[in-house]
Amino acid sequence: MSPRLQPAGGFAATGLVKRFSRGAETVTALAGVDLRVDAGEFVALVGPSGSGKSTLLALLCGWETADEGHLDYLGPLADRPPVELGWRELALVPQALGLVADLSLADNVLLPARLRGTTADAGPRARALLADFGIDHLADRYPHQASLGEQQRAAVARALLLRPAVLLADEPTAHQDRGHADRLLDAVTAAAREGSAVLIATHDEIAWARADRVLSMRDGVLTDGAPS
Amino acid sequence: MSRPQLWRLAPWTRAPLLGLRQPAAVLAVLVTSAILACAVASAPLFLSSARSAALQQQLAQRCDEVARPQTGVSSSLVDEQLQPLDGGDGSTRPAADDQFLQAWADAGMDPEPVLATAWIGSSGPFPYSAAPVSRTDGSLLSTPISLFHRPAALEHVEVVERGDGPGVWVPQTLAEQEGLAVGDVLTFGSQSAPVAGIHRDLAVANADDPYWCDYRLLFSNETSANVPPPAMLLTTDEPTFYRLATAAVGYATRLQQVPVDAASLSVSDARDQLDTQQRIVAASGLPLPSRGSPEPVVAVPNDRLPDVLDRATLIESGLRGPVVPVAVAGALLALVLVAAAGSFWADRRATEVRLLAARGVGPAPLAGKAALELALPALAGAALGWAASRLLIAGLGPADDLDPSATTAAAWAGVAAFVVGLGAASAVAGLRARGTAERPLGAAPRWPARVPWELALLLGAAWCWLLLQTRDAVVSVGFVAQVNGLLVAFPLLAIAGTAIVLGRLVTALLPRLRRWAGRRSPAVFLAANRLTAARLATGTLLVAVTLPVAVLGYTATLTASSQTTLDAKVGVQIGAAAAATTVTRFEVTPAIEAAGTYLVRYDGSAEAADDAGRTDVQVLAVDPDDFADTAFWDDSFADRSLPELLAALTGPEVDGRLPIVAAGLPAGDPNLRLGSTSVPAEVTATARVLPGRRSDDPVVLVDAGRLPEITRNAGAAPAAELWTNDDLGAGVDALADAGAQNIRLLTPEGVQESANFLGITWTFGYLSALAVFVGVIAVGGLLLYLEARSRTRVAGYVMARRLGLTRAAHLRSLLVELIGVAVAGVLLGGVLAAGAVALVYRRLDVDQVRPPTPLLDVPWPALGLSAVVVVVVAGLAALYAQRAADRADPATVLRQEA
Repeated sequence: MSPRLQPAGGFAATGLVKRFSRGAETVTALAGVDLRVDAGEFVALVGPSGSGKSTLLALLCGWETADEGHLDYLGPLADRPPVELGWRELALVPQALGLVADLSLADNVLLPARLRGTTADAGPRARALLADFGIDHLADRYPHQASLGEQQRAAVARALLLRPAVLLADEPTAHQDRGHADRLLDAVTAAAREGSAVLIATHDEIAWARADRVLSMRDGVLTDGAPS
Repeated sequence: MSRPQLWRLAPWTRAPLLGLRQPAAVLAVLVTSAILACAVASAPLFLSSARSAALQQQLAQRCDEVARPQTGVSSSLVDEQLQPLDGGDGSTRPAADDQFLQAWADAGMDPEPVLATAWIGSSGPFPYSAAPVSRTDGSLLSTPISLFHRPAALEHVEVVERGDGPGVWVPQTLAEQEGLAVGDVLTFGSQSAPVAGIHRDLAVANADDPYWCDYRLLFSNETSANVPPPAMLLTTDEPTFYRLATAAVGYATRLQQVPVDAASLSVSDARDQLDTQQRIVAASGLPLPSRGSPEPVVAVPNDRLPDVLDRATLIESGLRGPVVPVAVAGALLALVLVAAAGSFWADRRATEVRLLAARGVGPAPLAGKAALELALPALAGAALGWAASRLLIAGLGPADDLDPSATTAAAWAGVAAFVVGLGAASAVAGLRARGTAERPLGAAPRWPARVPWELALLLGAAWCWLLLQTRDAVVSVGFVAQVNGLLVAFPLLAIAGTAIVLGRLVTALLPRLRRWAGRRSPAVFLAANRLTAARLATGTLLVAVTLPVAVLGYTATLTASSQTTLDAKVGVQIGAAAAATTVTRFEVTPAIEAAGTYLVRYDGSAEAADDAGRTDVQVLAVDPDDFADTAFWDDSFADRSLPELLAALTGPEVDGRLPIVAAGLPAGDPNLRLGSTSVPAEVTATARVLPGRRSDDPVVLVDAGRLPEITRNAGAAPAAELWTNDDLGAGVDALADAGAQNIRLLTPEGVQESANFLGITWTFGYLSALAVFVGVIAVGGLLLYLEARSRTRVAGYVMARRLGLTRAAHLRSLLVELIGVAVAGVLLGGVLAAGAVALVYRRLDVDQVRPPTPLLDVPWPALGLSAVVVVVVAGLAALYAQRAADRADPATVLRQEA
């Protein structure tokens, strides 16, 4: 299977601020985040729980809007709000995975292609991803009939199916043993090598080592490098 | 360290408040408990409502006085020496009358007097030694009279001439016959009174005035008796009545009647009033009138109301057989819904429940926690259900006048619904909670889910069917038609069992649907996958739609068919919408012909050509040109239309035989005998039923213009009849103008005696209400279905939008999913209803004596509307689900636990 060329992508964020009201209290989840991830780059975002990683990913994919700052997608994706970007342009592995409960794992993986009308074309790649991630024997199972780790692998396979220009993943290896985590990281790394801009939030130190760059986040502030 | 008692821990002590934090679960339990309470409370209320309505409808067909508790006395007003008792000058009321009035006043009631004498006069049969009535000049009246007094009587007469002061009012005819004028003095024995007024004869001017309804026999010759009733003189006041009656006849019937509103009378109210009446009569010590042993003094209580009450109770007892099992079935169905709400609670509290289960908390404490959390909404729901049943019965039931005992019974039923419903919800919640925490991934369904329990329903239906083969589907007890409970139980069991079997089969085919949908649009693909993924929920929803549709289709069709059949029986008996008949002779006028169709009915007989004996027949001599315009007809009566049958009357005679159309005659051409006249006839057409059949005898139609003249003394008992579908009054006037007398009217109300069939009408009305109720349950189930799956649905939607799913495609998928189930349910329900109707309707003959046999009448508009409602509700549910998905915050949804 020959990889297709990806639309060159990436994004640049400047001074992103996001605040939440919690009763009378205002919590600043992001306190002026500057971030740029280019096409072909694999960036690991690390930080303790509650540091703002998931909020940043939600801003980047358009589910949240920043109170301050700018977010720009680059190259062919420029001048388009993230919510308008298709799955081939911006794919996502959310913390809750977001598998459609009424579809089998195989149908979940194939769903982006089905919604684009390219099921037949994407079928072989979907089967290959399922096999790579060791869940091909569970293809006909519903998500609730699979373990959390298996569901997570299906979610990553779905994100990779269309070779997205930008891949955002929130803790994609959180529920994996080492072997499966490595397979997932191999796939993510390969995606970056094929031209995707990849940003994953992770606690997995192996992932840090595989990434081109590591960014640390604490209390909504982003800094270069892994935490000490 | 000893383990603390669970019920002292926060999850239990704070449970009632914690429960309120799950509004969806609270709402589910509240609504389902309300449905359960409504189901069980409605039965006693409905039966009470039906009883009241049966009473009220019977009373509405009778005179107002039938509903009135009454005391009275028929007694002499003079002693053995013919000296007046109690004064006799009218200044004092007889002691017995006063005692009764006082007794009613003590009971808090205010009766009205009705005073009447028997015959008074100089001729006629005198039951008592009455003094003659004479004029001022001493001449006696030649016409017998009677005296009558009732408050406000003079407001219900048509005044011809009015005088002043007390006295007597005389009918106009009497005044003319006897030469009486206002101011003339009449002497009644030792007392005299002036003629205070003259009014038009009540039988003419006030024939329809309900005020006189119960007293018509006193002044109107209703039965055309040889000796008509005496002329009735109205006294202007009580003292005048007592004075004249004492002097003239010395005997009178005096009643004390308590006015009641018969239109809002309940059975218990009526019984209470009869009890009071009985107590007062018993306290008087007067004997009741008995045939064969006339007492000089007898009490005159209302002895008609008890019969009406008994009949109302009979109608209600006929309803009890079908209604109680149906209510129990409805309650069981609602209980399943309550249990489902308990399961829903377990899903909503899954996180906490798993935690507790992981710490070793068993199903019983979890059920206790569920009970504590759900008690308040269950209690509120039961109260709401009771109130709803009360409002529903008051608004939609046969009558809104309910017995207090029924309201109390309904309240207890509501309490029972609360206890049982909460118990079921808690038990299911506990088991579900524990099961959710313990069941392994991908485990097969437990064995109870795989057992086809619905076969028990089908076996029950088969058993009912077998029993029905040896029993009447409709029985008549005391002239009250009642539906055999088996006739209700059989189709309901069969429909429920078959619906579940079909639901199981359809859901078994869902994987094929899913594979088929894989090549369809995203909307169809998603819908099919959602239906397939939740097969149990899909099957339940399908059955929940199928059941009410089937039950409603069945009950509505049988109700319409029963009514159509009943109308047809009445139509056949009368011949048209109404008829007037008379045995007097007159010339037919254009006015009569314009008012309807005119015919002559003969009592005849038919001798078969093979000399097999004679059969009594009813011969209707009709005008073939206009008979079909008026005569009642249903296409099931014959293989040919009525005009075609009538055309057969106009053909040529064969061998001198008159063409006839016959229904019920033995085969062959008969020789008709109309009294002494013989009419050879040829049967040129036959029908199963002909209009105008009023007995078991065959009916024959002949062309009146070709029938030989039947002389009056031939003994054929000819009766002239005018059939009309318009205003009968015009026909009656035309007949009267032509000289007809003693005209007898035949109207549907008179023929039908509708109370006979109230039980049947209400039985199917209740079943229809049950179907609507099951529909409400289905809607509740639909909302639970949507709500229970909303979390996964919303999460899937949010992510699918990101994947490229459009909002429109998602809405289409919801519409396909829910409307697809609705349409499938409507189709399955329609098939089941049709099957049940086909099996049952021929046996539902509300009156086996009168033709025709049961007719089928499918109320297509009502059924179509029901189907549209089902589809619209499904569409609205889809919009609701789409709206819930639209309002979801993706960031929040996708941060939740996977």
